[in-house]
Amino acid sequence: MPGRAAERIRKAIALVNSVADDAGDEDITPTEIAEAIRDCLELSEVDLVPNVRKYLGEALDAVSDGMPADFVAMTLYAALGALREGGSLN
Amino acid sequence: MKSAEGRGRTLDEAVDAALIELKESRRNVDIKVISEGLQETVVEVTVIDHAAGSTEAAPANGKAEIARGLVEGLLKHMGVRAQVTVRPATEPITLDISGRDLGALIGWRGETLRALQSVTNVMVGRHLDEGERIIVDVERYRQRREHTVREIAMRAARQVKMTGDAITLDAMQPFERRAIHLALEGDPDVTSGSIGEEPERRVVVGPRKPAAE
Repeated sequence: MPGRAAERIRKAIALVNSVADDAGDEDITPTEIAEAIRDCLELSEVDLVPNVRKYLGEALDAVSDGMPADFVAMTLYAALGALREGGSLN
Repeated sequence: MKSAEGRGRTLDEAVDAALIELKESRRNVDIKVISEGLQETVVEVTVIDHAAGSTEAAPANGKAEIARGLVEGLLKHMGVRAQVTVRPATEPITLDISGRDLGALIGWRGETLRALQSVTNVMVGRHLDEGERIIVDVERYRQRREHTVREIAMRAARQVKMTGDAITLDAMQPFERRAIHLALEGDPDVTSGSIGEEPERRVVVGPRKPAAE
């Protein structure tokens, strides 16, 4: 069910974007973003498509390293793109 | 640059009034909200000069020109034929992408556009000051969405004032929620807050004072 992974990645992206866009109505901590990415990594389906786990791992590293939100978002979008590409090939 | 003032009961009506006067379509104009109230909304609508945007902004704003060049190159690599211009006199720097059939560049609920903006900011990052960001818009999608959600906010505020009950709006992106909070922050009768978790976070518009018991 690649839909669950996509859903969780989208949630992580939304968290990162809310930091980048500064909606001004919530405080998102790096820990919350890291948790959302870990939630994605917990799903076995991320191993079904090449590179998804790799990109998610890179995104998690980027959060730990304090990289800008846009960098984290870009890496998560890469994971989502890989998932979508893998899904369409199946 | 040609501009006109528009007045109307709603934001859309005010913009339409100015567009009729200018004989222009929405995608070719910049819209500035001068005042937004319950009875009347006033906007200033300015026709965009695409040629001036891409050339005149260059010497004045090197960062914008670097960003424009990078996005243009990126789109070229993607095989997308589009024109990239710097929106004049905007803070933060805003890049407008225009062309034919760019729906794919916007994507589902603006997802692709948002990804493009992230990539742009990563590419241009080292030229930007801390906290500075580049906004990327495709066919004025973002601007149109902001206007739409502001309109939704005003409608919700009117209803809250009539009924005294809070209204929960649909899930929105952060920039859309921000537009709503900004639209309502000056209203003495209503207040806005957000509930829920991303990406299902929603704005709640409610009375500023508790309803009479």
